[in-house]
Amino acid sequence: MNKLVKDDGRTHIESKLMRESLQDRKVLSGTDSTVDRRILPGITLVSIGGQSIFDRGKEAIVPIADELAALHKAGNKMLIAVGGGTRVRHTASVALDLGLPTGGVAQLVGAMEELNAVMLNALLAQHGSTTMPRDHFWDLPLYMNSGILPIVISVPPYHFWEPPSENGQMPEHRSDFGVYQQAEVLGTTKVIYVKDEDGMYNKDPKEHKDAVLYGQITLAELLANPPETNMIDWTVFSSWETGKNIKQVQIINGLKAGQLTKAMAGEPVGTLITKES
Amino acid sequence: MAERQSISDQGPAAIFETGIDPQVYDPIAVMPDMRCVKLGGQSLLDRGRAALFPVLDEIVAARNEGIPVLIGTGGGTRARHVYSIASDLELPTGVLAKLGGYVPMQNARMVQMLTAKHGGIYITDDDFEKLPLYVKMGCLPITTGMPPFGYWEKRDKDSRIPPNRTDAGVFLSAEFLGCKRAIYIKDEDGLFTDDPKKNPKATHIPRISAEELIARDLNDLILERAVIEYLRRAKWVKELQIVNGLKPGQVLAALRGEDAGTIIYND
Repeated sequence: MNKLVKDDGRTHIESKLMRESLQDRKVLSGTDSTVDRRILPGITLVSIGGQSIFDRGKEAIVPIADELAALHKAGNKMLIAVGGGTRVRHTASVALDLGLPTGGVAQLVGAMEELNAVMLNALLAQHGSTTMPRDHFWDLPLYMNSGILPIVISVPPYHFWEPPSENGQMPEHRSDFGVYQQAEVLGTTKVIYVKDEDGMYNKDPKEHKDAVLYGQITLAELLANPPETNMIDWTVFSSWETGKNIKQVQIINGLKAGQLTKAMAGEPVGTLITKES
Repeated sequence: MAERQSISDQGPAAIFETGIDPQVYDPIAVMPDMRCVKLGGQSLLDRGRAALFPVLDEIVAARNEGIPVLIGTGGGTRARHVYSIASDLELPTGVLAKLGGYVPMQNARMVQMLTAKHGGIYITDDDFEKLPLYVKMGCLPITTGMPPFGYWEKRDKDSRIPPNRTDAGVFLSAEFLGCKRAIYIKDEDGLFTDDPKKNPKATHIPRISAEELIARDLNDLILERAVIEYLRRAKWVKELQIVNGLKPGQVLAALRGEDAGTIIYND
């Protein structure tokens, strides 16, 4: 795959895709296989909710920070992603009233997550944490091997280029999706979403007393039986369907001491969603 | 346990449920007069000076008429080469999207060097908010067509190639800026009833709706599939225009807002 070919007015490099249309379904399927290479398989991505944890202030944040510090000290390799919470919602509310386009909203919201990253880092820096630009993950081996705990923001960098949404004006690629996708491309062990409920329910447990908790469930079962209200952005599950690396997504209660530690130890606390090959 | 401190009290709904009624949403167009133009990689840049110079002459002519233009460049054969090797390595789509961004960047810089004397400037995503300045100064901003999704690009079913490439990036720029059209300069007149290189009886299709195009379920398409899908949901972009850069006059006509080539429209 190193010859230059000039026989039709264009200069090509010889390769399987030379001259081909990258819209042709047959050509596209020729690039696929049953697996995606795992780049950093030994890491767990831990997402700390914005509204569910950070917006509750010190009483919720400090215990989680302590638990993260202990887990880090015990040698767990983690990448922490933070949500933005109600400041994100406020940003979006003002931006929509102003009539800003979807891409404009997407461009704005990351800054509100940066604030939570900075605050969490202020608590964890003495234990070796650092804030990391989210796409610097080629630095992760350096951090992991020198005992550093990186903290990133969650929202994916779609910015002004956020595609038009299927419904409404809000960006569809939001924080929960950004966390999942980062884990998927790195091929991490699993993703843990730390929220303020015991897991995922079929409807909002804050409003419905009869809401039922999903314990252990497969992705296929969840997609066949979706909840009425989503505590995790649905884009996570629709994307996970075509993803190849992530096999486990766990949703736990960060207000209950020890749940994160148990989840990191592989215990099925909260809601554990699994995907067969 | 401490209560959540919410700025607005709308209950524990999903973070983006802002309480704004979609019916009330009154969008503003950011820079609606901009012409967002994609310069094909394989179709133009890989052809070298014979194809590229006349196209750039027409873009500069349009710019001299006061028409604001934003150029997004495609990748072409070098992108295909790296996609091919990366696919063999079974690298994830997000890594391919990152790799695929480097080639259009090179192409954008080549176009900048060629147009510098006419005001061509290479811009990155971070320069996007300075577009009004560039337009006012009479410059011709040139950027990669690739959207910045990178490692966050979702994988398609049955493909390792990033579904959002330079056609999508130029479309999304146009949509953000509030433009009516996105313009694609390729080496064909647009759409035909069949492949004109193989079937001399194939006839040109001047206008077709996105819906009809999707309904045909073609095995191949002249634009990325994602773009056709986005067109149906877009607030601002109503038309995709595909023109032939190898035929004199088509590019200038398109930049003047005239119908040339094929127009794919959303009802």
